[in-house]
Amino acid sequence: MARTPPQHEITQLLAQWREGNQSALDELYPLVYDELHRLARRYMSRERKGHTLQTTALINEAYVRLVDQKNVPWANRSHFFAISAQIMRRILIDHARRHQYAKRGGGARQVSLEEALTVVMPDQSGELLRLDEALKSLAEMDPRRSQVVELRYFGGLNNEEIAGVLQISENTVTRDWNMARAWLYQQLTGSGAN
Amino acid sequence: MTPERWQQISRIFKSAILLDNEARAAYVDSQCGRDDSLRVEVEKLIESHGKANADSFMAGVAAEAAAPLLTDDETRHDILNKGQQFGSYVVLDSLGSGGMGEVYLARDTRLDRTVALKVLSPDITQDNRRMQRFRQEAKVASSLNQPNILTIFEFGEVDGLTFIATEFIDGETLRDHLHGKRLNIGEIVEITIQVLAALDAAHEARIVHRDIKPENVMLRRRDHVVKVLDFGLAKVTEQKYSTLEHDSDPEAITEFRTAPGIIMGTINYMSPEQAQGNEIDERTDIWSTGVIMYEMVTGKMPFRGSTTSHTIVQILEKDPVRLTKLVKAPAEFERIVMKAIAKKPSERYQTAKDMLSDLRSFQKRVEMDAELKQTSPLITRTQDDLGRQKKRVLAFALIGMLLVTAAIFAVNIWRSSRRTTSSPVATPAVAPVERTLTYWITVQKFKDRNPYGDPFTLAGEINFEADYRIRVNVRSPQPGYLYILNEGPASGEPEYNIVFPTPTANNGSSLLPASQMIQIPEKSWLRFDTQQGVEKLWLVFSENALPELDSLKQFASVETGGLITDPLRNKAIKDYLDSQTSKPEVEKGESLTTVKAAGQLLIYTINLEHH
Repeated sequence: MARTPPQHEITQLLAQWREGNQSALDELYPLVYDELHRLARRYMSRERKGHTLQTTALINEAYVRLVDQKNVPWANRSHFFAISAQIMRRILIDHARRHQYAKRGGGARQVSLEEALTVVMPDQSGELLRLDEALKSLAEMDPRRSQVVELRYFGGLNNEEIAGVLQISENTVTRDWNMARAWLYQQLTGSGAN
Repeated sequence: MTPERWQQISRIFKSAILLDNEARAAYVDSQCGRDDSLRVEVEKLIESHGKANADSFMAGVAAEAAAPLLTDDETRHDILNKGQQFGSYVVLDSLGSGGMGEVYLARDTRLDRTVALKVLSPDITQDNRRMQRFRQEAKVASSLNQPNILTIFEFGEVDGLTFIATEFIDGETLRDHLHGKRLNIGEIVEITIQVLAALDAAHEARIVHRDIKPENVMLRRRDHVVKVLDFGLAKVTEQKYSTLEHDSDPEAITEFRTAPGIIMGTINYMSPEQAQGNEIDERTDIWSTGVIMYEMVTGKMPFRGSTTSHTIVQILEKDPVRLTKLVKAPAEFERIVMKAIAKKPSERYQTAKDMLSDLRSFQKRVEMDAELKQTSPLITRTQDDLGRQKKRVLAFALIGMLLVTAAIFAVNIWRSSRRTTSSPVATPAVAPVERTLTYWITVQKFKDRNPYGDPFTLAGEINFEADYRIRVNVRSPQPGYLYILNEGPASGEPEYNIVFPTPTANNGSSLLPASQMIQIPEKSWLRFDTQQGVEKLWLVFSENALPELDSLKQFASVETGGLITDPLRNKAIKDYLDSQTSKPEVEKGESLTTVKAAGQLLIYTINLEHH
């Protein structure tokens, strides 16, 4: 397949963003969002309920589709994964929010058996939304740890990849993760005051 | 918690969890000293760490846990439910969904009116920058007071959901109306003129629609008034399609179906500058209008590839197949469409007004032409063949003297409305380069010159009994010029009888309007003489008038049965019929036969075995 200008464009945007151009991220964001969203839904509609969504596979596919593979420095790839993790988070949160809303607005609606069986969903979406909120608070205190969580939990990256993206050691990634996760657990279970 | 405190806690935590219980307690003690609250924070966090491990908290990834959310969304995407109160609105019904959100039929309880409520999907409204711009544009759009622009009543937010309340149109979208078929030129012009009127008003207010497509054009059921939807909305959902690579992904063919929640419209109506992500202006709407016109007239989109990328290449580089290669359309109509979809904006109509004015002149001309056609003068009949001896005669048995009128061939059109000047018939429908004709034969048995038994219908060829008399019923979805000739079973050079047209039947015209049935003859029956063999009825149906056959009208008469005796003329007719090698496809139904032929001319013979 011939390299298409769009790939060049995305690759360039990635480079610009890496160099600190924040508006490049603004442009990049919707492009990657749409691609990931589309892929995620396609995966899920193909695999039916209950199947796992391979986030890394998804992001990899988006990467291959969107980014010019030739002469891409590793850093660009890392950045792509970073933004993808962020976007996966947003996609899931958007969906969760909708579910919450549908639940709230339910009113006199009859609940079919099928819906009754999938009743776990609103809880999941609620938990996800609370996690998202907690993660936002964490980011205010400790942006790096919050990013580790985003990359690992929403982006599906492993510690080695996260280390590459954040330019820190794998050990640090592990430590950051432990700390952040403990704190999030505390927030979500209400087992700890601030 | 302050970041400093946080750092303090985390520094102790990260080492503490590496130690066993005993060592850990000592370590935490030593680090916290007399700061009890610090010690409490650290200990709670260590405890949470243990529980999180035990609970496998966040052991997987979010998508795993939340995956059902994505699928569930696929099947059920209602944001609101029937009967639900939403601000001052009560939801009555769901009207459907699109890339932007869900649309509901709702009652505005304050003003007691029915509205369409569009609730934007959260994915879209999350983007503050886009939303802000959208608010501005929606505000301007709602101030546009033009009958072809959907009126926006309110724009607001309830429970964090952004909605737009608009007038509710009972009708269908142009997409549904088209449903893969072609429209006739008259209707296309009607629709386009209204779309352009809407655009003209919007452009005056410096609003570019950006997403003119059949889904955004509504036709009101009761009066067919056109309403253009979603002014200003396009900006919100806009994205650079050129940057997406969708090869080999069948789902990328997004025309017609924009999956709910996915912010992805169709690219088929996008202008080249839009597809490239360049600056756009009013002329992008001109382009999209041209694309719709093309689709309405041909039933096909001018730019359409198997994938998004292919479509973009077509938009940017390829000239569409010429209109007139696909259908028969007036040259002026084609010129207007092609000008609207010129690749360079500077070569297009520069304003909706200009295009509107061209279309209006075109519309006037078409109406005038149609009127002229209907009032074509009768050809005066010559008498030279009258009274000549006939070898075989096509005669007409008249049923009841009451029906005898001067014109035996009198053929009336069932619907007489076409004689009123600007009836729909006056608009020449677009004919594909193919002719279709449906016919069936009504048979009446006769005994002693009186009808005997009930008439019955035959689809096509029949074994013709001596006491049978027939009528031919003809109809076509297309307008055209019809000629019917009879050729008897005589050996040697054929002699023809002209059956249709006649100086009086159908107002003396050979033009058969689209979709109108014509019965030949209407008040009498065709009878053949007793000679055995095959009687042939030649049906000639042409897009254009055929002067060679039109001139035969003069020979139609009661006395001669329309017989043409001049050998030279008969030879000319034979040569003409033989030269036309239209090979029609025949489809015989139970009660009627349909014949189709490629090209502008259809010639078909009904064989009547005569015993």
